Amino acid sequence: MGLTVGVDVGGTKIAAGVVDEKGQIVATSRRESPAMDSEAVEATIAELVRELKKEHAIEAVGVGAAGFVDVRRSTVLFAPNIAWRDEPLKAELERLTDLPVVVENDANAAAWGEFAFGGGKDFDDFLLVTVGTGVGGGIVLDGQLHRGAFGVAAEIGHLRVVPQGRPCGCGNLGCWEQYASGSALVRDARERVAAGSDDVANLLRRAGGRAEDLTGPIITEAAQDGDAVAVELLSEVGRWLGEGIASLTAVLDPAVVVIGGGVSEAGDLLLEPIRQHFRANLTARAYRPELEIRPAELGNKAGLIGAADLARQD
Amino acid sequence: MAEDGTVVDVLRASTPGRSDAPEVVERALVEGVTTLRQEHDVTAIGVGAAGFVGLDGRVRFAPHVSWRDEPFAAKLTDRLGISVVVDNDANVTALAELRYGAAAGRREVLVLTLGTGIGGAVVMGGAVRRGAQGLAGEFGHLQVVPQGRLCPCGHRGCWEQYASGTALVRAAREAGAPEDVTGPEVTAAAGTGTSWAEAAFAEVGRWLGVGLAGLVAGLDPELVVIGGGLSAAGDLLLDPTRAALADRLPGRRYRTVPPVVVAACGPEAGMIGAATLARESMGQVGGTVGGSSA
Ligand SMILES: [Zn+2]
Ligand SMILES: [Zn+2]
Repeated sequence: MGLTVGVDVGGTKIAAGVVDEKGQIVATSRRESPAMDSEAVEATIAELVRELKKEHAIEAVGVGAAGFVDVRRSTVLFAPNIAWRDEPLKAELERLTDLPVVVENDANAAAWGEFAFGGGKDFDDFLLVTVGTGVGGGIVLDGQLHRGAFGVAAEIGHLRVVPQGRPCGCGNLGCWEQYASGSALVRDARERVAAGSDDVANLLRRAGGRAEDLTGPIITEAAQDGDAVAVELLSEVGRWLGEGIASLTAVLDPAVVVIGGGVSEAGDLLLEPIRQHFRANLTARAYRPELEIRPAELGNKAGLIGAADLARQD
Repeated sequence: MAEDGTVVDVLRASTPGRSDAPEVVERALVEGVTTLRQEHDVTAIGVGAAGFVGLDGRVRFAPHVSWRDEPFAAKLTDRLGISVVVDNDANVTALAELRYGAAAGRREVLVLTLGTGIGGAVVMGGAVRRGAQGLAGEFGHLQVVPQGRLCPCGHRGCWEQYASGTALVRAAREAGAPEDVTGPEVTAAAGTGTSWAEAAFAEVGRWLGVGLAGLVAGLDPELVVIGGGLSAAGDLLLDPTRAALADRLPGRRYRTVPPVVVAACGPEAGMIGAATLARESMGQVGGTVGGSSA
């Protein structure tokens, strides 16, 4: 199969790209997302596909969407940011575009992209951990994307790491993403400011003197400039990530773990603490070959590229 | 074992001690197999061993015998002149359940064996997944309590310190059982309604469910199968497990909570699974067992 289209349906934007069989993006197009109007979202996706179809010989479409997707990859059971509930997305889009369509959870699509063309391309057993606002991920074992029985596999952000810990939006206490995400990073920084600690002056200045304006990128930038507090905040998130990845490794035994998402842009400031605490927490380490923990390579294009490739595989 | 999974003949021997050389275990196995071969036309041999078994059949580490990076499969194949495959005991138990037991016909399953510790296997796409090095499914040392009970592995708060035979005995003692109580005694006492035994199962069952919630969230199985000695307690163990799982599973309003059931192949599951693995591995080397792709 030659060219396919990958679509990344986000909360604010919908991006579509024509992707070749080597995972290269040949052309892209994007629109604002009419998030709360499910029919309008479908119309927008179809419009993007038709636009790309005029210039390129498209053979299939893969759509990555946040939410629970059924195992047959046709229905979105529930999407947190879009008004989809049991939405037969595949059927609707096939009708609107006249092309075969595959629907996939966005984290799975990104995992497939990194597995096929990015940080996991030399391996068969692979774990992606995406560190953004929350923590997400994807699993490939024996070269097969693991979707789980109900299409909700790899909801790793809600693994419990602290009993009776911080409350999470999912309703549980102590979920991993309450400690190991970009949100946790920013929350910890703000708490540090609120506690009146005077070593945060530099960090606070970068946010214009307002704790509420502190962001992940600001903290990362400060850390890259050598700010000790920012370095410490990132290494704390790295510690939680390393410990959790040690657990996932015991369960799945991947050959490589790839770290993606916005926070991973901090590079070794995040990856080194991850590696260090991974090693300290991995059970029976003496009997295992060392496992590589490396950065993602496709950035925020992983989902689009992965969705396009999954459409090709189908 | 015959082709249909029927066990035709069984031979048992005690496991040599930890202090004996690897050759002692090897010799005992060779003798047993040789005896069985005098009576039966055997075409392949499968071995399930507690410990870390690499994809090449090397036993990297075994807790109860003195194997360290032992090229077990190769040595046995050599000595017996017949194909020998080796896998982790929980993995072969899972294979037995998948072919002939509680997981027959299923594709996405978690299998746990509860004995002294916790053994585990991951079934995805209808096959037991061994991971990159053959070490997938090591659930026992997942941390469920930060700064929790000290585990012999050197870490704190490992799951098997809370949900295993060892944990059951500890919980029974804490609930008022005699100091020298054993696991089977706790199970027997629970059967007759003894309160410390019931309390111990409630406690261990709950921790089993707490740990499962994390695994189910990460792997999304359609079924969880519990085997091993402790599973003989049935619902006494699994009702609190199911309750804790249903209570803790993230996104539970939008997903199906998988059933948690007792293994069906019983104490011979490991034997049946190892024989099945041997049969299914004939003519192929390494990789996934019983593979079927999506
Ligand atoms: Zn949560
Ligand atoms: Zn341990």
